[in-house]
Amino acid sequence: MPFVSNTLRPYLAAVRSTLTAVLCLENFSSQVVERHNKPEVEARSSPEIVLNPLTISRNENEKVLIEPSVNSIRISIKIKQADEIEGILCHKFTRFMMLRAENFIILRRKPINGYDISFLITNFHMEQMYKHKLVDFIIQFMEEVDKEISEMKLSLNARARIVAESYLSQLTQTCELIPGHKRNFSNFNFLNKSKVLSYRNFRISEQG
Amino acid sequence: MSLRLPPVIMDNGTGYTKLGFAGNNVPSFVFPTVIATRDSVSTSTSGTALQSKPSISGNIASKRGIEDLDFFIGNDAILNSKTYGLHYPIRHGQIDNWDQMERFWEQSIFKYLRCEPEDHYFLLTEPPLNAPENREQTAEIMFESFNIQGLYIAVQAVLALAASWDSNKTKDFVLTGTVIDSGDGVTHVIPVAEGYVVGSSIKHIPIAGRDITYYVQQLLRDRNETSIPPEDSLKVAERIKEQFSYVCNDIVKEFKKYDQEGDKYFQKYHGIHSVTGQPYEVDVGFERFLGPEIFFNPEIASSDFLTPIPEVVDNVIQSCPIDTRRGLYKNIVLSGGSTMFKDFGKRLQRDIKRVVDARVKKSEELSGGTLKATAIDVNVISHKKQRYAVWYGGSLLGSLPEFYSYCHTKAEYEEHGPSICRHNRVFGSMN
Amino acid sequence: MILLDYHNVVIEETLKQPIVGLEPAVLDMTVVDFDGVSYRISTPQSKNIIRFSMLMQCFKELIQWGAQEMLQKEYGAYILPQTESGYDFSLEFDLQKLPEDKEERETLVKKVSLIKRNLLAQPFERAFEQQAQYEAEEQTNPTPILMQIHYRDQETIYIQAQYDRVTVIFSTLFKEETDRIFGRVFLQEFVDARRRPAIQKAPQVLYSSKDPPLEIRHLTEPQNENVGYVTFVLFPRHFVEGEVREKTISQIQLFRDYLHYHIKCSKAYMHSRMRARVQAFLKVLNRAKPESPTVEKKTITGKTLVRA
Repeated sequence: MPFVSNTLRPYLAAVRSTLTAVLCLENFSSQVVERHNKPEVEARSSPEIVLNPLTISRNENEKVLIEPSVNSIRISIKIKQADEIEGILCHKFTRFMMLRAENFIILRRKPINGYDISFLITNFHMEQMYKHKLVDFIIQFMEEVDKEISEMKLSLNARARIVAESYLSQLTQTCELIPGHKRNFSNFNFLNKSKVLSYRNFRISEQG
Repeated sequence: MSLRLPPVIMDNGTGYTKLGFAGNNVPSFVFPTVIATRDSVSTSTSGTALQSKPSISGNIASKRGIEDLDFFIGNDAILNSKTYGLHYPIRHGQIDNWDQMERFWEQSIFKYLRCEPEDHYFLLTEPPLNAPENREQTAEIMFESFNIQGLYIAVQAVLALAASWDSNKTKDFVLTGTVIDSGDGVTHVIPVAEGYVVGSSIKHIPIAGRDITYYVQQLLRDRNETSIPPEDSLKVAERIKEQFSYVCNDIVKEFKKYDQEGDKYFQKYHGIHSVTGQPYEVDVGFERFLGPEIFFNPEIASSDFLTPIPEVVDNVIQSCPIDTRRGLYKNIVLSGGSTMFKDFGKRLQRDIKRVVDARVKKSEELSGGTLKATAIDVNVISHKKQRYAVWYGGSLLGSLPEFYSYCHTKAEYEEHGPSICRHNRVFGSMN
Repeated sequence: MILLDYHNVVIEETLKQPIVGLEPAVLDMTVVDFDGVSYRISTPQSKNIIRFSMLMQCFKELIQWGAQEMLQKEYGAYILPQTESGYDFSLEFDLQKLPEDKEERETLVKKVSLIKRNLLAQPFERAFEQQAQYEAEEQTNPTPILMQIHYRDQETIYIQAQYDRVTVIFSTLFKEETDRIFGRVFLQEFVDARRRPAIQKAPQVLYSSKDPPLEIRHLTEPQNENVGYVTFVLFPRHFVEGEVREKTISQIQLFRDYLHYHIKCSKAYMHSRMRARVQAFLKVLNRAKPESPTVEKKTITGKTLVRA
């Protein structure tokens, strides 16, 4: 894959091996309440069954938090957001997914504070699904979500360009200058500086 | 806005979409619920087209980037069907393809209704027993894509009941009744009790407008009406059905009447040949009353469905909770184009009444005269707005001042998420 | 559909039957248009007399800029002196007194469906005339009037004629964060579009958020984070009298609607992308589930039951 930059590969590899190592869950009944069986990473009923969380980060904007416990782990992902647009697209996308959490079994309906999306895998999930395929899913999700967001951004820009062009081209139907039309460019006093600059460009392009 | 703009009423049916503003008597637009798009393969099966990874970028992120605006809806879609692929985003009353539906709405709003959705409340309709997830999806599109001010999703049958408020002599706003909704493809009998559909008792009848048209066509063919150009025969049958048909009291008597005073009853249909432009004439006879008769005597046209409509209605009501039955008999409301035949309501009322009275009598006999039942009131309500009853009911509700308090507003949506739209309060309920 | 229509389709469709086809019908409907305009088409007395009333937020302002003359000129014969109560302006059509010629009736219907466009065109026309006047009189430094049209509750169009140009400023308000960000992307492209050779000669577009442009800075407007200002600088070649001018006016007054329409379309497009992507993710996740062993089910007669 050509787009995989050199830091992405080790980053994903680290996530993959960590997940593989950490996904050894067992059924664990609550120590506090009889006949309760809750994901301990969420319930946090006693400290000795919640293991140390760890963070794998590629840079300050992209990291994964993995919180293991005896019967469940929580994986939270912070997705790259280079600017405001990617931010909103990422927010929209993760929200869209989380609204469909019902279908995604392992998806948490709310992300952990500071992250964009969280997954919660319990021992019951592990009993139903293949471990390596689950890890595959997380990795593939991480890979593709970045790609999807940047593609969405590109397409938004492309759309905006076409939209602007089609509108403005409606205003340039006859761009012939009226012959002998006098114009005066000295009247800048009400324009601000940036306007003056683009105004000059305009003049140049018109002459050329 | 200093003044409140009327809510938008959109009734998207399997066949036709009715669009307009609340307070109006008729929808501003009625056109087929069809969308014509360029790439006929990839959009219709957007789910399956994604199996292989490369095709994702191949068919969504297209080079020009704005292909998704290249489409037509309604009649324009049909006009462009040569170069575009036609799709029907609604199947069996439910939205089948959300991508297409979203675009269908987009154009309905901006091209046809010409309104800024941010300034309006919207009333949409749904079939009975619609899944709440569908409401969530609808809300997601309406609030997030279109930023509408407020949304109310009403069940079509309930709106059809509301549409009869005007013509109901009693003048009280009841939401209990049986709705007979007959369009082109299928006829439904839907009992509604206090604004809620009695889901388990809904019945479908596979006889509707199209079947009548076919039957009329068959009759014309059997009689050797040779003047009809074969390619137009379906269209002619449809015209004849719409212009001349009515429901008779008794077929035998009606046949006799035609035999005795033929000139009074036989009519002529004048058509113009679509290719040659030659005018032609067709005699219209028994099909005038035989067409709609298939509702009451299905055996004359079909061999697999044999229950007459009054019996179906009676069965439906009998299967409902016992305390609602009187209300259901009292308020039988017609909706849809195929209930527009002259005297349809009268005949239906008479036939249901017969069945009901017979039963009451029987039970009195069986009790040996010890029980006296109060007669059951059977009322079939016909009104002028029948054809677009659902839409009109929406328009009535939308023009009520309290409509706004029943809507889910954008602020509520943002606070609670799409799940608030799972439930839409029944009109007239306390809270 | 990339560009929006100039005319109101509902009005056209509704009036076509009675006015062009001369088939009287009972009418009573409310119709709306962009920017909070609403119309009422009714037949109060008889089927033969159609009344058409209009309500527009900025109607009074437009009258100030010469809309009355335009109405007299374009719709004069049909103006109802007694305006329907609750509306700004009424027309009345007597079906028995319509032009004989069918084509003329068609143009009439078209004209009525364009009424909002024609009204909003007035300040533009006026600015263009003023600019021509300044130029003719060689007033290089005129003191132009700034026309304000409060066409929506919180949004305004400002038009000002100068010696060699006409400046049109839209104040735009985005109610939502997503819209604001999408809107900014779109507006940035409007600003940059002129770099492309094909539309080099389009009017210059400037965009600034928060700070109003100099022309309107003296107005103490309520400032808001979400307000942006879009300036179109129109030169005389953009409004050569005739078709060009008409087209420019039609386009430019639909700017806001056009922008918002496309923001909404983009959101719809994003939705369909996300739907596809989520579907794809689901497929990957479902691969993790072991396939349930397919047990062959037989009916009592020995036929195999196949579940689709």
